[in-house]
Amino acid sequence: MSIITIATSKGGAGKTTLARLLVGLLSQCGYKVAAVDTDLNHTLTDWVNTLSKYPVTVEHELDETKLVPLVSKLHDGHDVVVIDTTGAASQATIFAIGCADLVLVPVQTSSADIVEAIKTMNLIESAGLMMKRGVPARVVLNAHQPNTNLSAHVEKELEKAKLPVMNTRLQRLVAWQEMSFTGIVPTTALAGVQGRNFIEEIEGLGGIPENKKLAS
Amino acid sequence: MGKKSLENVTADLSALAAAMPTQRLAAPPPMAAPQSAQPELKVVRPAKKPAVEPLTQFSFSLRKSLRKELTRLASDADMTMQAFILNALKAKGLAVTDEDLLDRRKGWKPKAETDAG
Repeated sequence: MSIITIATSKGGAGKTTLARLLVGLLSQCGYKVAAVDTDLNHTLTDWVNTLSKYPVTVEHELDETKLVPLVSKLHDGHDVVVIDTTGAASQATIFAIGCADLVLVPVQTSSADIVEAIKTMNLIESAGLMMKRGVPARVVLNAHQPNTNLSAHVEKELEKAKLPVMNTRLQRLVAWQEMSFTGIVPTTALAGVQGRNFIEEIEGLGGIPENKKLAS
Repeated sequence: MGKKSLENVTADLSALAAAMPTQRLAAPPPMAAPQSAQPELKVVRPAKKPAVEPLTQFSFSLRKSLRKELTRLASDADMTMQAFILNALKAKGLAVTDEDLLDRRKGWKPKAETDAG
């Protein structure tokens, strides 16, 4: 019974890609997964309902006043609830952060991604202070291009901003984009390895219920 | 990790959330009164076409770097700059309709559905 929120105020950073990866892999591993889509474009909802074959409960909810009760209800009947947020700071995003056991902030290799990640991390910290409990959060390097000056610069900037970054880097791979057409999360080749590492690291961060942890 | 209480999330964060735009849609119109078993016949008249409000040009100056960033942000959001700006103002309470967000550029064709997260 854990809640993972994916948030950044930057659009196009890969929030829905991360959400697909999470719900697909966790569901495939036997977890009972629910997804809440608060994005105006309802891309995750459409993906779960029309393309994916995973037994995932998905709810599209834009109304922030209904979000916490919905998450609470889903939290009761599922091992993991994944919340995908919209690409802008909104009331729904704040409440989604407030519900979370772990917030993932995707960052691609652009200046705007870093700026918005810093803003989002500040927002998470503020939410934690107001709730008098820390909200664990990690930056996820997405569309990463290893051995390039660009990626090295992004990592340096994140370090300078003192943002906690996940060790697993999700590289810019065709396989992630293919998910949007096939409805299937890649489990083989480089994408498969990165997906597995991603899930294992989230387990280590407490984003997945301990009694349900996967055997490595 | 046991059952987590989310009871106080809304109360604790309402002050912080109040500073943010809402995504909530306008309240639905009130439900029609229940009809009697034998509804009386009514003459159905075609609804009057609403008058089309004329468009007006609007421009403003801004720093070159801001303009560049705006172009990029709009492109990342897969929107025209006009739609991107109007959408942001909508969150501040401007009465923007879906039609206002349409791309009015000449010869523009909608591109294939993109899938940015």
